[in-house]
Amino acid sequence: MATVWYLVRRVAQAVLVIFLVTIVVFGLLHALPGGPARGILGAQATAQQIAAFNHEQGLDKPLVAQYFYYLRTLLHGDLGTSYTLNEPVSALIVQRLPRTLVLTVLSAVLGLLLAIPVGMWQAVRRNKPFDYAMTALSFVAYATPVYFFGLVLVLVFSQALRWFPSQAPQGDTLGQVLSDPAGLVLPVVAGAASMVAVFSRYMRAATLENLSEDYVRTARAGGAGQRAILLRHVFRNSLTPVVAMLGYYVPVLFGGALVVEQLFNYPGMGLLFWSAAQSSDYPVLLGCVLVISVATVVGTLLADIVQRIIDPRVVAGNS
Amino acid sequence: MSLGRMGVRRRWAVAGAAAVAASALLAGCTGASGSSSASADEINYALPPNFTPNWLLPIGTAAHLNTNNSSIAGAMWEPLVAYDGSTGKVAWNKKGSIATAADFAADGRSVQITLGDRHWSDGTAITSRDVQFWYNLITVNKKQYASYSPGKAPDNWTSLKVIDDRHFTITFDQSYNPQWMLADELSLIRPLPQHKWDKTSASAKVSDADKTTAGAKKVWSYLNTAAKDISKYASSPLWKTVSGPYTVKSFATSGKVVLTPNKKYDGGEKANIATVNLLPFTTATAETNALRAGQVDYGYIDPSDLDQKESFASRGYSVKPWAGWAITYMPYNFNNPTMGPVFRQLYARQAIQRSIDQKGLVKAIFNGTATPGYGPVPQGQKSDYVSAVQASNPYPFDTAAASKLLTDHGWTKQNGVMVCTRPGTGSNQCGAGVKRGTTFAMEVLSQSGSSVTDNEMSAIQSSLAKTGIKFSIRTAPVNSVLSQTPQCTASQSICKWQLSYFGTAGSWYFPAFPTGDRLFASDGGSNFGNYHNAEVDRLVNKTTTSDDPKAMQEYSAALAKDLPVIWLPEPDYQISVVKDGLGGFSQDSLANFHPAQWKWTK
Repeated sequence: MATVWYLVRRVAQAVLVIFLVTIVVFGLLHALPGGPARGILGAQATAQQIAAFNHEQGLDKPLVAQYFYYLRTLLHGDLGTSYTLNEPVSALIVQRLPRTLVLTVLSAVLGLLLAIPVGMWQAVRRNKPFDYAMTALSFVAYATPVYFFGLVLVLVFSQALRWFPSQAPQGDTLGQVLSDPAGLVLPVVAGAASMVAVFSRYMRAATLENLSEDYVRTARAGGAGQRAILLRHVFRNSLTPVVAMLGYYVPVLFGGALVVEQLFNYPGMGLLFWSAAQSSDYPVLLGCVLVISVATVVGTLLADIVQRIIDPRVVAGNS
Repeated sequence: MSLGRMGVRRRWAVAGAAAVAASALLAGCTGASGSSSASADEINYALPPNFTPNWLLPIGTAAHLNTNNSSIAGAMWEPLVAYDGSTGKVAWNKKGSIATAADFAADGRSVQITLGDRHWSDGTAITSRDVQFWYNLITVNKKQYASYSPGKAPDNWTSLKVIDDRHFTITFDQSYNPQWMLADELSLIRPLPQHKWDKTSASAKVSDADKTTAGAKKVWSYLNTAAKDISKYASSPLWKTVSGPYTVKSFATSGKVVLTPNKKYDGGEKANIATVNLLPFTTATAETNALRAGQVDYGYIDPSDLDQKESFASRGYSVKPWAGWAITYMPYNFNNPTMGPVFRQLYARQAIQRSIDQKGLVKAIFNGTATPGYGPVPQGQKSDYVSAVQASNPYPFDTAAASKLLTDHGWTKQNGVMVCTRPGTGSNQCGAGVKRGTTFAMEVLSQSGSSVTDNEMSAIQSSLAKTGIKFSIRTAPVNSVLSQTPQCTASQSICKWQLSYFGTAGSWYFPAFPTGDRLFASDGGSNFGNYHNAEVDRLVNKTTTSDDPKAMQEYSAALAKDLPVIWLPEPDYQISVVKDGLGGFSQDSLANFHPAQWKWTK
């Protein structure tokens, strides 16, 4: 019952947060001087064309009226139409979101598959050459901008060795994207690098903490081997902070996706958001903010729930 | 189990996993995508960064009809008069036109057009009725039409009279310069398939709906609504009836467009390549990477990459700068409450212009991929429109002379910056409206996102400082720059901007005849800084109404001397990188691309 009540409370909070985000973003966008018309239509647009654009988009109405109109259409599932891309925002999100999800999920999976064992093994080999080497590598990877690392991958593996294409899959559908695994290799590796660096550090710290816990000493005294201790006891308990961080990492993943999408010519959500910001495409910006807000809120919510599953000591909402 | 034994097994496991991963990756390699065509039947053309084609209808609103969308539409629906730079000079390309002759009346008040013996892709003849269809739609819906400018076509056309299937006459409201009329107005006309498109809804039958105002509005609305459905571009029968050399094979919402030849094309520019892939790129870096990996046949590089010319040559490419029919400038806001009175003084504008080292900028910043521009007519190509005054640069770079201009007019350098110390309207005073103590400090809102532009602004800041002019730089994305620097009156809050720069890729691309009615006429829609000069208005008007060949040169000379804006170097439209063997075309300085002219020569 406590969990259900907790979930209801969290969902209500999430809706409120998203509502506030739309108000803030809507207000900030419309606070920009000049409005979007001249920017969208270009230097050669006439005053008549600008007036016609503002009228067509409802930009000549009072700001509050515009917001309530936006909210009303939003509740009807209509996110508006892009000023620049000639498509409904919902259609753009439906096209782009799965592409970004493929990229971010694969990067996250690859990153975690590497980070978790590396972090654990560093803890086991604390202050040994392997630990030092991995620590140094982590710092280098963490300090290297994704853009630079991606560029190096392109130079080496696409242009010099010609193993992989410099572009991510160009297909429109998810099936087309997944049918070109070679195209996914470099973007996924580029996206995973910083995750390995960050999460291996978390895993190392969590494992070290758990290795010094009483229950580990008790298990050892009871005759449990190192492997059993690591896999049966320490591994699960060490995952808790990693899972928590993963939820909060959702916006970072979207941010990273923007860079990777730019570099590997992969039109996903990150790039959609960036382009919309550059061109003052308000409907797309609001749509993207909405999606990222929902993803962040859902990510943190899921992280809390999974933490509770992993570690029953965690009381819902008080991890 | 000991940790040592576990370590051995772990190492084997890691090695095994690595081998599996490597195998998987290498297996993935076999599916590598996006390789260069390397085939006479295909070409990969790189679209500009961050541009996705999104409009096919050759009539539409300003939000849709940008250069690249127009180029794609132009390959499908040929213009009546293709007046462009595709033949190496800006002229009427009759091979790419549906009209074969334009005979102007002796009084310059009308023109009779003759159509070629041409057919739509469904076999129907292209007739005067198809031109009339376009005319009716544009006349009724002109306010939504991208190329409409008040007072210009169709406002200054009083009628279109069909003589027969291949001849018609357009009458004007007064006498016009035939060259201007042909190059800037008649070139807008695009014969449209009336026998397929003249209907008010998808389910309606084709009729003469365009002949009434209400009907023309409905047809316009129907066509523009249909054009919003990008996913149907390749499948809808609406887009299958074309007059140009190509038709759409596929049009992905993510941006890739594939063109395939119109097999019934009977014009002068038959397609040479069976598959034209127009590829979208998120950034210039992504495009350059694809170019280096050999996945693009006709692409581009940043001017800063020009030193890698040899590297591209070794990969089988040639670097070919693509000059634009454009000018680049920085508008003054003459209505700015603080600096407007200063900008209104010719000597002050001269001092600013003399502080701009255009040749130095071209060499150091643009790597030679720009042309100094000293007036309102493009100087990237030779033309008869440029006056001797403009060509000879009336205000050469000289910061000492610039400083003297200011000190001669009542300014004194204080802490490195000029301050007005002799206000008044005398010949040795600061000028009307300039108050005592006014500091010669100005700010530009400049386009962000380009290191070339950032460097150019810094160089200008440095040279202006030598004259004693403080120049602050604020940056924003180009759309924001355009939004924040509109025409305004001094009392408006938006009128705080002083200088604006949106010319990273050239500030203003002209139609074929480079008149400045929209830029420098007092009532010009894009006269952002509210420049006003009655004599210039007269000269601008003369360029469009008089057939005197000197009219353009007089206009060129007047504005080169009067400095309505700060003239700056004109960057090339694009530094193209073209696969060896791809030829048969000139890069159109009007910034359009013409796929039918491309061909593999080896």
